[in-house]
Amino acid sequence: MSRILVADDEVAIRKVVRDALEKAGHEVDTAVDGAEAARLFEDGAFDLVVTDLNMPNLDGLELVRRIRRSSSVPILVLTVRQEEREKVRLLDAGADDYVMKPFGVAELVARARALLRRAEARSGAQPVTRWGDVELDPESRTVKRGGAPVHLTPTEFSLLLALASRPGGVWTHRQLLGAVWGSSAGISNDTLRVHMGSLRRKLEADPNRPRFIRTEPWVGYRFSPEPD
Amino acid sequence: MPAFALRRWIGYPGAAILVGATLAVLKLFRGLGESSVALILLLSVFLSAWLWESGPGVAAALLGTLGFNFFFLPPVYTFAVEDPRNVAALVVFLVSGLLTGRLSATSRERLRLVEAERTDLANLTRLSEAFLADTTRESLLGVAADRLRSALQADNVTILIGDDKGELVAAASTSDAPVRQDLADLAFRQGSSAAFPSSGEGIDLYLPIPIGVQRAGVLVAKGLRTSERMGEGCAVLLGLALERERFVRLARAAEETRASDQMKSTLLAALAHDLKTPIAAAKGAVENWAGEAGSSEGSRIAVEEMRRLTRRIDELMDVVRFDSGVAHSRRERVTCSEIVEASLARFGDSMSAHSLYVDVPRTDLRVDVDPSQLTEALGHGLENAARYSPAGTEIRVSAEGRDGTAFLRVGDRGDGIPPGDRERVFDRFVRLPSSTPVSGTGLGLSIARSLVEMNGGTLRLTDAPGGGTLFEIALPLAAG
Repeated sequence: MSRILVADDEVAIRKVVRDALEKAGHEVDTAVDGAEAARLFEDGAFDLVVTDLNMPNLDGLELVRRIRRSSSVPILVLTVRQEEREKVRLLDAGADDYVMKPFGVAELVARARALLRRAEARSGAQPVTRWGDVELDPESRTVKRGGAPVHLTPTEFSLLLALASRPGGVWTHRQLLGAVWGSSAGISNDTLRVHMGSLRRKLEADPNRPRFIRTEPWVGYRFSPEPD
Repeated sequence: MPAFALRRWIGYPGAAILVGATLAVLKLFRGLGESSVALILLLSVFLSAWLWESGPGVAAALLGTLGFNFFFLPPVYTFAVEDPRNVAALVVFLVSGLLTGRLSATSRERLRLVEAERTDLANLTRLSEAFLADTTRESLLGVAADRLRSALQADNVTILIGDDKGELVAAASTSDAPVRQDLADLAFRQGSSAAFPSSGEGIDLYLPIPIGVQRAGVLVAKGLRTSERMGEGCAVLLGLALERERFVRLARAAEETRASDQMKSTLLAALAHDLKTPIAAAKGAVENWAGEAGSSEGSRIAVEEMRRLTRRIDELMDVVRFDSGVAHSRRERVTCSEIVEASLARFGDSMSAHSLYVDVPRTDLRVDVDPSQLTEALGHGLENAARYSPAGTEIRVSAEGRDGTAFLRVGDRGDGIPPGDRERVFDRFVRLPSSTPVSGTGLGLSIARSLVEMNGGTLRLTDAPGGGTLFEIALPLAAG
C-alpha cells in the first residue's frame, strides 16, 4: 500500500481520483490547492503526488519545482488538451508523467502504478530486458529480436538502454539528449528523430504504428514494454 | 523690432557725438602726444562700431580721421598737412579705424545672430516639450497655434490640416485673418514653401508640415520676425508631434483590441474549464462505478456516451473560439509523421472496426504549423472516414511531399460524396444522408477546414482512388 497525495481545486475531480486510487489499494490524502499540497507534503511521507496543473495559490508547475528541491518522489500531473508546451515545462521541471483531462480512470491508475513500481525499483535500477520478441542484454550490449541478433549503432544502443531503464516512462527530447549525449547543446531534435526512426525500424513490427517506442507528440518519447 | 530699428536710427548721430566728445576731451589735455591721441580716437571708433555696427562704425572712422587731422595735426584747424610723415600717419589711422570698426561690427553682428539662434533653439526646445506633453490631437492643435505664434514672434499663426479626402481644413488659428488658399494648397500638394514681406512688419510664411515624405498640412505664419529656418523647424516639429499623436492613438486602439481579445480568451478558458471539469468528474465517476459494477451493457454505454459528450463539447468550444476571433495558431516546426502518429493515438479508437493502413515516408516532411490544431484537423478526417464507411473496410492514412507541398490524406472505402456536395459538407451542421446511421453534429469538417486554413493550408474532399472519399490536407513544406 502506498501513500498518495492528490492536489486539485475541483472537489469532484478530487473525489474521483481518490476513489479510483483507493480502490486500487492506496491510501490517499487530498489538498485543495498547491499551497496546501506543499504544506501536507512537508509533513507526511508520500510515495506519489498527483497534482492538477491549474490551481489557485501555487499552480502545478510551481508545486513540482518546490517538491523537487527536497524530494525525488514521483509526480503525476493532470493536464488538459492543448498544453503541449506546459507538458514539456512540467517534465523538464521534474514531473515524471502526465495524464490528460478528461482522463480515463484506468489510465490514471496504470500510470500511478508504473510510477510507484519504478520508484520502488529505483535503488537497484535494472532496465527491462524483455518485451515483445525483443531481448536486451546490457552486459554484452547485444539485442536480439525473435532470437536473431540485431545490429545497433552505439548511439541507438544508448538510446534503447535509456528508454529501457524507465519502463512506461515519458522522456522529453531534452532529457533524452542529455541522457545519451551528455547535454542537449548542439544536437537537434531532428538528429534524435533519425536515430529513433532507425531504432524503430530495427525493433518494431510496424514502424509506422510502433507498439513499444512511441512518440509523445511534441513532448518526446515513451517506452511501453507492455502495450495497452 | 522697434528696439533694433531705433538702435540703427540713432547709430549715425550716436557715432558722431561719441567721436566729437572724444575729440573735445582730448583737446582739453594739451600735453598728449599725437600717437596717444590717435589710439584713444581709435578706441572711440571701436566703441561706435560695437554699439551701432557697420554703418555708424565706418562713419566714426571717417569722422575720427578728419577730426584728428583738423584738430591735432599741424597746421591745426586746417585740413592741410604740413609734414609728409603725418600723411602716412593719417592714412594708417584711417585704415586702422575702418578695420577696427569692421571687425568690431562683425563680431557684434555674429554675437547677435548666435544670440538669436540660441533663443530660437530654446523656443524650439520649449515647443517640443510642450508638444510631447500633449497626447490628444485636440489638445495638441488647440494650443499649438498660440505656442507657435510666440515662438515665431509672429502676428498670427494658422494651422491647416489635410482631412480624409485630402482637403485642407483650418484646424487652429490665433486670429480670424484670412490665409491665401492658393499658397496653402501649393505648400500642401507640392511641398513648396512661400515667403514674402508682410503687409505689416516681418514676413508671411506658408510652410508644408512634413510627415515623412508626406505632408500633414500647412503652417501659415503672418508677420514672422524670426528666421525662416525657425519657421521650418517649427513646421517639422509640428509634423512630428502630429505623427506621434497618431501613433499614440493607434497604439491605444491596438491595446484596447488586445485587452478585449485577452478578456474573451480568459472568459472562454473559464467557460471551457466550467464545461469540462464536470464532464471529467462525471466520466471518472462513471468509470469508477463501471469498474465496481463490472462490465455491463449499461456501464459500457455510459462510458461511451461520456466520451462522446466530451468530444462534442470540444467541438463546440472550437467553434466558439473561431467565431470570437481569439483562436490563434502557435506554430512550430514539426514533421508530418508526428502529426499522423498523434492523430492516430488520439482518434485511432474510433477506427477499431476498420482495417487501418498507414503510409508515411521515411524522409521527414517538415511543416510550420500548430501541432495541436493539425492533429485535431486530421483527427476529424479519421473520424469522418470511420463514420461514413462500412465496418471492416480499409482506411488509408498517408503523407506525401510534392512540389513544396505536404499532403496529409485519409482515404476510405465508403459511398463517397457526390461532387456537387463536396463543398457544402464544409458548412456547419450539414450532414449528408448516409446508408449507415451516424452520430455527430456536422461541425467536424467545418472545424477541420478552419484549423487547416489558420495554419496556411487547404482542405478538400475528392474521390479516393478505387472509390470512397479522400480527405486531403495540403500544407506548405517548411523551407530549409
